[in-house]
Order: sequence, then C-alpha cells, then structure tokens
Amino acid sequence: MNPAADHSPWRSAMQGVRESIPLLGGYVPVSLSFGLVAMQAGFSTWEAAVISVLIYAGASQFLFVGMVAAGSPLWLVVCMTLLINVRHVVYGPNIAAWLPQSRHWYWLMHGLTDQVFALAHTRLPQLAAEVRFSWFAGSALLAWGVWVVGTVIGATAGEAVTARWPLLGEVMPFALPALFLTMVAPRVTDKRWALALGSTIAAALLLTLYGLSNVAIPLAAACGALYFYLVPFQPKKRTA
Amino acid sequence: MSSALWIAMVISALGTLLMRVVPFLWMQRRIGSEEGLNAMPQWLAVLGPLMIAAVFGVSIVPVEPSPLSWLATAIGLGVALLVWRRTRSMGWPVAAAVATYGVLMLGLGALAP
Repeated sequence: MNPAADHSPWRSAMQGVRESIPLLGGYVPVSLSFGLVAMQAGFSTWEAAVISVLIYAGASQFLFVGMVAAGSPLWLVVCMTLLINVRHVVYGPNIAAWLPQSRHWYWLMHGLTDQVFALAHTRLPQLAAEVRFSWFAGSALLAWGVWVVGTVIGATAGEAVTARWPLLGEVMPFALPALFLTMVAPRVTDKRWALALGSTIAAALLLTLYGLSNVAIPLAAACGALYFYLVPFQPKKRTA
Repeated sequence: MSSALWIAMVISALGTLLMRVVPFLWMQRRIGSEEGLNAMPQWLAVLGPLMIAAVFGVSIVPVEPSPLSWLATAIGLGVALLVWRRTRSMGWPVAAAVATYGVLMLGLGALAP
C-alpha cells in the first residue's frame, strides 16, 4: 500500500464529502424553504442565491429577509443578523489546534456553520494531521454548495418540490439529530459531563419549543457551562 | 434590491465571515506561540462540546410537532444510540435512525384516523 496515496488531498476531500452527507438531511429542506420564503418576501432567485453564498447562516438569513420584507430599518436588520451569528466566534478557536496554517482559511472558514463545526470537532482529532485540511475543505464546500443549490431550487420550484415530496421536509431532517447524538454520546465520560451536556440539551430543546431557537444555542451552552463549573462533584473517597 | 439593501447584505456577510475567521486565526497564532496549546482557555474548550449538545437539542424538535412525530423521534433516537453503542460509527446510526423514523411516520401515520 502506498502511504502517499492514502494522504492524497483528493481522497481526503472525498472522505470529508462522504462524511458530510448526513448533514444534507437538514440542509436540503431548510435551504429549499429559504429560497421559497425569500421569493415570497420579494427577492429574486439571483438575490436569494447571493444571500446564501455570502451570509451562509440559516437562521440569520430567514431573519434578514423577514425583517426586510417587514420594512424594518436596515441598521437594525444588520445588527440582528450579526447578533444571531455571534455564537460562531467560539467555533474557530475550538478546532484551530487540529488544522494547519493556510492562507485559504480566509475564505474557507466561511463554511464553519453549526453543523460543520459539530462534525469537524468530532472527526478532526480522529484524522491524520496530513488529511485534515482537505477533509475540512471537502466537508465545508459540499455543505455550502448544497445550501446554495437548495436555495435556487427553493426559489424557482420550492412549492412544487415540497408538494410532490412532502416527506422530504419531514423525514430527511431527522438525519441531523441522529448525527448529533452520535457526536454527543462519546463525550458523556463522567457525571460532570453528563449533567452539563444533559442540561444543555434540555435547555436548547425547551428554548426551541418556546420559539427562541435563534438564541437557543448560545444560551443553552451557557447554561451547561454553569452546571459544569458550579455543581460540585466530589471524587470518591478511597478506602485505606 | 436597492443599493442600501445590497450594502446591508454585504455588511452582514462580512461581519459573519469575520466572526468565523478572526477567532480561528487568533487561536492558531496563539497556539503557534511559546504558550502553545496551554493558550487555549479552559472555558473555551468546555464550550465546544456544549455547543454541539445545544445544536443537538435544537434539532430534536420535529418539523411538524405532534404526538406521532415526538414518539417517532424518541424511538428513532433510541435506535441511533443502540446502533452507535454497537458500531461506534457515525454513518450506521444515522441510516438506522432515519429509516426507523421514516417507517414509523409512514406506518403510524397511515394508521392514524
């Protein structure tokens, strides 16, 4: 076996593409919906596609077109869009140690969404250092590309697609919680982590049920961090 | 779109990009410095897995919440966990969970009045 071939950039990029396929279960229906919503809000197909290419952040894109359609002041639209995306500032530092230095990060880090971060945070430490850059590029570019294509399809034929395949929007998104569960489960290593992770999941679930999905991720993570630091866990006493 | 709207969109896009790129590059520079990996604050390392757990919590809510979809969600996630414990992989648990969820939604949905 040729070790160089195992580390070929193309092969590791394809590995990243393959391992990101479950993410698409969430990306396809949501991007279709975004295209449809943007059209209904008065944006053209081309404008919706540009928003998906440049902003590329699900919740804030919906908020952006919704606020514009409602006639909100543009300064407020910008502030709210950035406020929702502020959670992204903790993603990069958490994977920085596993990735090599590269001038491509200036544009490639644009692909660091919630889902890509979750996958990268789980997979990068398991991969050889030589393949991590290509793996991340393959994963991020697939997700980004599908998001943009989904937006265009949603804007041009969204209603027809969802009417013809109603299960597309109902069953496929279940790939996301299933995938995230496989990422969270290995981190339950002791009581302290179990409590912190469990409280985070419960808080995120409750906040989403109460219609606060836009702020659920940072607030729930902060709640879990509080448990992690504040709830004391005493190590078992050793018998002499 | 008007010029003002284009400008608002570009500012939002640039701001989002900077929030993703700058902290990443800042941390890479700190890791490359003498402090090395110890430069990573502990709270930041704790926040990473918690953010993933939060994304999981948000994604649990079904697209069309109903007793049936909640039941299918609970069973589907149970199947994902069981398959994960056996295989310790990511692909099989997802495939098994989506198949279970789809069958339950279709099967139980057909039985529902």
